[in-house]
Amino acid sequence: MDKVIKMDNIYKNYKLGQVNVEALKGINLEVEKGEFISIMGPSGSGKSTLLNLIGCLDKPTKGLYELDGNRVEKLNDYQLSEIRNNFLGFVFQSFNLLSSLNAIKNVEIPLIYRGIRKKVRKELCKEALEVVGLGDRMHHLPNQLSGGQQQRVAIARAIVGKPAVILADEPTGALDSKTGNDIMDIFQKLNKENNMTIVQVTHEEDIAKIGNRIIRLIDGYIQ
Amino acid sequence: MKEYEGSKSSLVRLYFTAKMALNGLTSNLLRTFLTVLGILIGVASVVSLMGIGEGARRTVVEQFESLGKNVVIVKSNQPALNFEPEEYIELLDRVDGLEYATSIVNTETNIRWRRSRGEIEILGVNEQYPIIRDHELIDGNFFSSLHVKQRSPVAILGYNVAVSLLNGRSPVGQSMTIDGISYRIIGVLARKGNGKGEGIDNKVIIPYTSAMKIDGNRTVSEIWGKSDSPENAALSIVQLGRIYKRQLGIYDKDTDTGGEDGNEGGGEEPGIPIEEPIKEVGTAKPQPQSQNNPIFDNSDDLITVTSLNQLVKEADNANRVMTLLLGGIAAVSLLVGGLGIMNIMLVAVSERTSEIGVRRALGAKKYDLLIQFMLEALYVSIIGCIIGIAVGIYVINLFNRNGLDAVVSLQAVKISTVVALTSGLLFGVYPAYMASNLPPVEALNRK
Ligand SMILES: Nc1ncnc2c1ncn2[C@@H]1O[C@H](COP(=O)(O)OP(=O)(O)O)[C@@H](O)[C@H]1O
Ligand SMILES: [Mg+2]
Repeated sequence: MDKVIKMDNIYKNYKLGQVNVEALKGINLEVEKGEFISIMGPSGSGKSTLLNLIGCLDKPTKGLYELDGNRVEKLNDYQLSEIRNNFLGFVFQSFNLLSSLNAIKNVEIPLIYRGIRKKVRKELCKEALEVVGLGDRMHHLPNQLSGGQQQRVAIARAIVGKPAVILADEPTGALDSKTGNDIMDIFQKLNKENNMTIVQVTHEEDIAKIGNRIIRLIDGYIQ
Repeated sequence: MKEYEGSKSSLVRLYFTAKMALNGLTSNLLRTFLTVLGILIGVASVVSLMGIGEGARRTVVEQFESLGKNVVIVKSNQPALNFEPEEYIELLDRVDGLEYATSIVNTETNIRWRRSRGEIEILGVNEQYPIIRDHELIDGNFFSSLHVKQRSPVAILGYNVAVSLLNGRSPVGQSMTIDGISYRIIGVLARKGNGKGEGIDNKVIIPYTSAMKIDGNRTVSEIWGKSDSPENAALSIVQLGRIYKRQLGIYDKDTDTGGEDGNEGGGEEPGIPIEEPIKEVGTAKPQPQSQNNPIFDNSDDLITVTSLNQLVKEADNANRVMTLLLGGIAAVSLLVGGLGIMNIMLVAVSERTSEIGVRRALGAKKYDLLIQFMLEALYVSIIGCIIGIAVGIYVINLFNRNGLDAVVSLQAVKISTVVALTSGLLFGVYPAYMASNLPPVEALNRK
C-alpha cells in the first residue's frame, strides 16, 4: 500500500519569549492511502500542532516529513501552496467560510487558485455540494446557513478539487451531536466510496471510533 | 516536486484576485469612502491650485503678446545717448534679423475736441507701427510714410478715445486740436483690451515727426523693431547689442582686439566696416558698470536692448515656478492621503488575518495575496484620482464663473494622477507585504 504521510522523529517547539514550549516530542507516524485516522488526546497535547504540520501550514523544528513522496522541508512556499491546493483539503472547527461569498463561491476558491476555468469549476462545485447534500443552498451566504450546513459547505470546499487527503481539526467540535454524526456520515462515505484518506482531530470517543485507527497523543508523544 | 496537472490559467486567478480586492472595498463602504476622500481632496487641490497658477500665467503671456510678436526694443536710459530720429532706418539696414522698425515718441499734451479740452497721451510712431504691434484698424487707414516725412497733422485714435469722443459714430474725417494745431482724424485702432498693449486704447497716435515737435526734443529715446521669427528676434538682439556696445566703446572679451573681429560678425553685411562706429556719442562716456553687462538688459545700463520674447519668457518662467509651487503644496496633501491608504490597509490586513490564513490553506500563493491587497490600495487611489480630477475641474469652473482666471492644465492632471497612483502603490506595498508574509498557521489561529 502507498504511504501518503510519513513522519520520522518530528519535533515542534514554540518559543514564547524566554520559554520554550515543546509541543511535539519525536512523533513517528505513517498513514497509508485510504486510511481514516482519528487523533485524540487531552487539550494542549499537540493535536492541532500535528495536524498543521501534516497540512504543510507549519514546518517542524526537527525531523523528516514525507508527503506524497515529497520531502516537505525541502519545499519552498510556492510549492507548499501547490501541495495544499492540489493534494490536501482542510476542514476547520469553526468552518472558516469567507463571509462575503455565497456557498458555491466559497467552494470554488481552491479551483480558482488552481487556475481552472469557470465552466469546469461550476460542474465540480455542484458535484461537491451534492455530495454533502447541499445542492439546493448554493447561493446562500454563510450567515444564512446553520452550523451544520456551513460545515457541509466547508467539506464541499475541501473535496471539490479531489484531493488525496482531508485534514479536519475537530470538525464536529462546534456542532450538536446529531449534526456531528451527519458530518461523520459524509466523511465515512468519502473514505469508503472515494477512497479519500482522512486525518481528523477529535476529543469525542464516538467520533474517533468512526475511523479505522486512533492515535492518542499525550503531552507531545504518541502513546 | 511532483507536478500537479490542471488547466493552469493565471488569468482566472488574477480576475478572482481583482474581484476579491473589490470585495474588500465594498465590505466597509464608509471606511472606503473616507480613504478615497483623502486622495480625492489631494487630487482636487492639485488640479485647482495649478489651474489658478496656469491661468495667471496665460494672462501674463497674453498681455505681453498684445504688444506684438517678435518685437525688439532699443531704449536709451540717458538723454545724452538718445537716438537720431531716423536712426531706425540705419538699424534696418545693418541688422539682418530686423524687418520693421520705428522711432517711438511718448508724450502728453492738451487737446481740444469741439468745445471740450483735456490732456491726452500721445504716441508718435512711423507707418510701420501697426505691423510691429500686430494692431489692426477698425476704421479708416493708418498714416503713410509720406505723412511721416511731411510731419502731417494726421491722427489715429485709440479705441476708447474714439468711443468717448463720438459714442460709436465714426470720427474719421473730423478734426481735433492737438497742442494748438488742428489734426485730421484718419483712422481708429481696434480694441486691445484693459491692461493690454500698454494702454494704447486710451492714446492718440500721430507721426513721430509731429510728436517730436510737441515734446520739443531733437532725439528719441526708444526704437521698436520687429523680426519675422523668434530666432531672428534673438539674432537682432545680439547684433543690436554689439552695435551699441561698440558705439559706447565697450568690447566683449573676445572681440576687444578690434581689428580681427570679422569672424564673429557672420550675420553682418560684408560691405559695412564693422569696427567703425555708426555714430559718435556726443559727450557721454561709458560708465564702468556697463562693462560687466555683455547684453544691455538692465535698467542701470546706458542703452537697453531687449525683446518682448525675452520678457515673456522671464515672466512665464516666474509664473511656472509659482504654478509648480502651488502644485507641490497640494501634492503634499496627496501624500497625506496616501498615508491614509496605508493606515486603512494595515487595519484591513489585521482584520482579515484569518481570511488570509484560510486562503493560504486553500492554496493561495504569497503573491496572490500581495496582488489582492495592492490592488485594493490601488483601487482607492484610482477612484480618488478620477473623482478628484472631476471635482478639480468643477472648482475651476466655479473660479471662472466668479471672475478668477483658471484653466484645467494637462500638466496638473498628469502630476496628480502620477502622484496619486504612486502613493497608492507605495503605501499599499507595505500592508500587502505584511499580508502575504504572514505564516499560514499563525494567520489561521489569530482571531
Ligand atoms: N503558536 C503557538 N505559540 C506558542 N505555543 C503554542 C502555539 N501553538 C500551540 N502552542 C502550544 O503547544 C501545545 C500544543 O498545542 P495544540 O497543538 O494547539 O494542542 P491541542 O490542539 O491538542 O489542544 C500547547 O501547550 C500550546 O500552548
Ligand atoms: Mg487543537
